[in-house]
Amino acid sequence: MTTQQTKKNCEVIITGFGGQGIVLAGRILGMAAALGDHKESTLVQSYGPESRGGACCAQVIISADVIQYPYVTIADVLVCMSQSAYQKYKEQLAQDGILIIDQDLVQTDGKRECFAIPATRMAEELGRKMMANIIILGFTTAVSQLISRKAAEEAVQSSVPKGTESMNIKAFTKGYEYGLSKLKGREKKAEGKSGAVA
Amino acid sequence: MQEIKIILYLCNWGPHVAFQTLQDQDYLIPPEVKMVRIPCTGRISKALLFKAFEMGADGVALVGCQTGTCRYGRGTDNAAANTEDTRGILDLLGLGKERLRFAAFLPEDVEALKTFLFQFRDDLRRMTASPIRPGGATAAAPRPGKALAAILAEHHVSACQDCGKCTSACPLALSGKPYSPRGIVNSIITGKLATEAVIKEIWSCLTCGICFQRCPSQVDFPAFIRDLRAHVAGHDNGRGPAHGGFFQSLMRAMTAGGLQPQRWLDLPQDIEVNPHSKTLFFGGCAPYFDVFFRRHQTVKTAAVLTDSLRLLNFFDVKPALLSAEKCCGHDLLWSGDEANFLRLARLNTEMIRALGITEVITACPECYQTMAHDYAAHGIETGFNVKHIYEFLEHEIDKNAVAFKPFAGRLTYQDACRLNRSEHMRAFPRKLLQRLRPEGFSEMKESQNAALCCGNSAWTGCDAYSKALQVKRIRQAKETGSNLLLTSCPKCQIHLRCAMEDPFRGDELRMEMKDLTSVIAETICWE
Repeated sequence: MTTQQTKKNCEVIITGFGGQGIVLAGRILGMAAALGDHKESTLVQSYGPESRGGACCAQVIISADVIQYPYVTIADVLVCMSQSAYQKYKEQLAQDGILIIDQDLVQTDGKRECFAIPATRMAEELGRKMMANIIILGFTTAVSQLISRKAAEEAVQSSVPKGTESMNIKAFTKGYEYGLSKLKGREKKAEGKSGAVA
Repeated sequence: MQEIKIILYLCNWGPHVAFQTLQDQDYLIPPEVKMVRIPCTGRISKALLFKAFEMGADGVALVGCQTGTCRYGRGTDNAAANTEDTRGILDLLGLGKERLRFAAFLPEDVEALKTFLFQFRDDLRRMTASPIRPGGATAAAPRPGKALAAILAEHHVSACQDCGKCTSACPLALSGKPYSPRGIVNSIITGKLATEAVIKEIWSCLTCGICFQRCPSQVDFPAFIRDLRAHVAGHDNGRGPAHGGFFQSLMRAMTAGGLQPQRWLDLPQDIEVNPHSKTLFFGGCAPYFDVFFRRHQTVKTAAVLTDSLRLLNFFDVKPALLSAEKCCGHDLLWSGDEANFLRLARLNTEMIRALGITEVITACPECYQTMAHDYAAHGIETGFNVKHIYEFLEHEIDKNAVAFKPFAGRLTYQDACRLNRSEHMRAFPRKLLQRLRPEGFSEMKESQNAALCCGNSAWTGCDAYSKALQVKRIRQAKETGSNLLLTSCPKCQIHLRCAMEDPFRGDELRMEMKDLTSVIAETICWE
């Protein structure tokens, strides 16, 4: 994460099936960076036949300076919500980049470490499967620290349909806290405390 | 100097001869020593040893025959074992084991007996007087127990429609005991409370609450029984409470204000606590149980407390502990001693408030029910929130990225009555069980709101029917095909284990049994 913070710009690919809310997640990410954190951001969305179930993709660049070129070639953060999207985009992730997956939908090749979250399952438990994108956005916010929590929550609130704000904030918080706890768990494991009983 | 009181339980046979020789030779026996002549030291149970302390003794000596000279065979060994266990309890209680001693003498050991008595007296003089005074603990203070008419009115007992759903669900009745809640209600309404049969039945109830669950008129029979017990206190079932009333004595002794129990002394090093935390972990009486039952069963209920603390630490909660923690009072409340229940409740509440605690977490279903609900219902404002560890765990596990190590075991679960019926808390243990992802989980034939009791409550009314009930329950557990029975309450562990160790049934009822909290602590890990 230190690399993301020190580097001037950060490039993100969010990808999955059409209909999972991939583009909305990208839009919220960019809006949060631009409106809340006062940085520059761009969004390139690719859809089309993908919206019927193929790999859908949102490319976001967040930068402290003016962004000259909006397409992502090598991503610093790759969020995958489907297996086919993972297969298609995994090579575009930088060596020290962060891979984020929905653990129930993506099986990685195991070649690199990743941050996994059962986002779709959590959304189902919360009552709406379609909120998986907001949960994974919360998770990404926590583990990548690309945008501030406050900016992200404001962007979520202004982007989701009227009347669903509190539910979406709940989903965002769920993902965010899960992300924080992932980081904490990694720290604890590094200290050699993986379980409760010594 | 305040006069100290020493009770000497003296065996009729060997040492009494020595004692008599002392008297015949006009030796001065320390005047503080009050001698009670008994037929055999082996029959002085832990309850009788402790009773002396409850009644204000500063020291108790149990003096019997030397090993091998006991007229009845094993008397001396029993006495030594009972003394050792009771000494363990005295240590936990903060009274100090030095106040209780066992010694054995031959009839001719006159000088040795004399030296022992003087030595004991001098040692006790050097200690401070026991803070337990009969005035503070057992005095017959005006009972807060209510009048019968008030009890009948408060529980809407006359709403009973005499339908019999209670009796047909009552685990005691189903285990063959001629017992009927509606029958008791009818007898009392028609003015037969004072009869021996009714009073006996009042003390037999398990207060498990299944009748309340089934009652179409919502008569809370267990609460009715609880108040009746306070009303008829002093008249019991003719046999007194279970285990000779040891636990009731212990809990009454804890009402002594000056007593400083040492219950957290043997806490493992790796557990982190913070005396300034606003969250308190309330342990309960499990360590006392473990000492009391150490010779009979392989009961390790205190492990649940250390496992709970480890789980709190796992989620970065470093709670405060109350070193002078007293019993929550559950068993006194449910065995008719409301006055001393209130004393314990006030003492605990004052100590917890003095620490500025806002939240109390406990792993004991009885402590939970008592502190979360019964304190307030008896007019004691706590000012802190009480949470059961399952609620805490479910919330944290739901929020955090944790996993469970693979767990090879087919599980079944014994509901704790205080979590299950009284508190509508039965969902939490089941959610946690599912998270463990066991090889299999099957409910027993009677579970959740129909669950069978472990056979006893508040250390009263243990009899052959309780045993039949326990046997039935363990058989149900085995019928599920599971190999591990999970429990929530230390008392379920103790009572079911007792039935499993029945020598007449051999290994027929043996089954591995563990507490759910311990299983979670053993398997939880960061993802």
